[in-house]
Amino acid sequence: MSGDSTSLRHDPLIRQALRSGVPLFIPAIPFALVLGVAITESAMPTAVAWSTNLFVFAGAAQLATVSLAATATWLTLVSTAAVINLRHVMYSAALSPRFSDQPTWFRRIGPFFLIDQLFALMAPRVELSSRDWRRFYLTAGLFFFTSWTLTVTLGLVVGSAIPTEWRLDVAPAIMFVGLVVLGLTNRPGIVAAVTGAGVCLLALEVPNNGGILIGAVSGVIAGYIADTVQTRRARSSLDGPS
Amino acid sequence: MNTLAALSAVLTVGLITYMSRAGLIVFLADRPLPTNITRALRYVGPAVLSALTVNLVAGGQGVDGVEVEEVAAIAVAITVAAVTRNLIAALAAGMVTMWLLLWLL
Repeated sequence: MSGDSTSLRHDPLIRQALRSGVPLFIPAIPFALVLGVAITESAMPTAVAWSTNLFVFAGAAQLATVSLAATATWLTLVSTAAVINLRHVMYSAALSPRFSDQPTWFRRIGPFFLIDQLFALMAPRVELSSRDWRRFYLTAGLFFFTSWTLTVTLGLVVGSAIPTEWRLDVAPAIMFVGLVVLGLTNRPGIVAAVTGAGVCLLALEVPNNGGILIGAVSGVIAGYIADTVQTRRARSSLDGPS
Repeated sequence: MNTLAALSAVLTVGLITYMSRAGLIVFLADRPLPTNITRALRYVGPAVLSALTVNLVAGGQGVDGVEVEEVAAIAVAITVAAVTRNLIAALAAGMVTMWLLLWLL
């Protein structure tokens, strides 16, 4: 056994995992601070809203959970967060081959840490052996978990000192729209986003914030159709002029 | 929202989040998702997050809850995010726009 705990700090793999984790975490800092502020403004008791760090550990779902508590019913809140989290299914589908030869404890615990940043970090590490991949994953995962929770807590402390005239309650909406724009990589994505927003706007009078889910489902369907059309067009242009 | 409702909501969201991350790894190991589903999943992010943005801007008060400052802040944030591809810049530009308008109007 070469990896005894006394030399963990000097283990090149651990150091590499931390060194590659830091640049991915930095862009998440404002998000964590916004979440901290949103926790102070949440209709949930502060401690419960803060506990999303420990139980949920997914920025967008956490922000939706604490911000929707004021206006949404229990069911709308939970289903919106569930839909936001559906993208994680893609991550776990993409990484599942690397989990298939791992010990059971890791297959159960590992997925808890699977945030966007960890996926981005781990997906390209095909060169690592099973054991190294697991150690890299856990090191980076624990690093993200710890830094995330500390930064959110910092935002909470700072946020409660900022007067409400600064309107920091608007920051979550700006954050979400920024995430949408950065996540758009193709035209069907734009169709999905515009449809989601438009249908939600038309459905604002639907009780219990049901418009979010109606908008989300319409957006996914529109995106899927646009994707199909695009794929077909690409295929027919590949076939050459007829 | 009372403590019990809030805590049960948080725990339920936590369980669903874990299931969406662990489901394929723990229970369906090595069975790939059908391509139709992965293609649809790609559009969940943009669809739900943009719907959520609209809902948060309305603040649960229907169209009456939409304020000019907020809409302007969102529009500026969209533009800055599209041009710079930088979330921090988009957030800063959106907030500054709103503060300026609140101060001017």
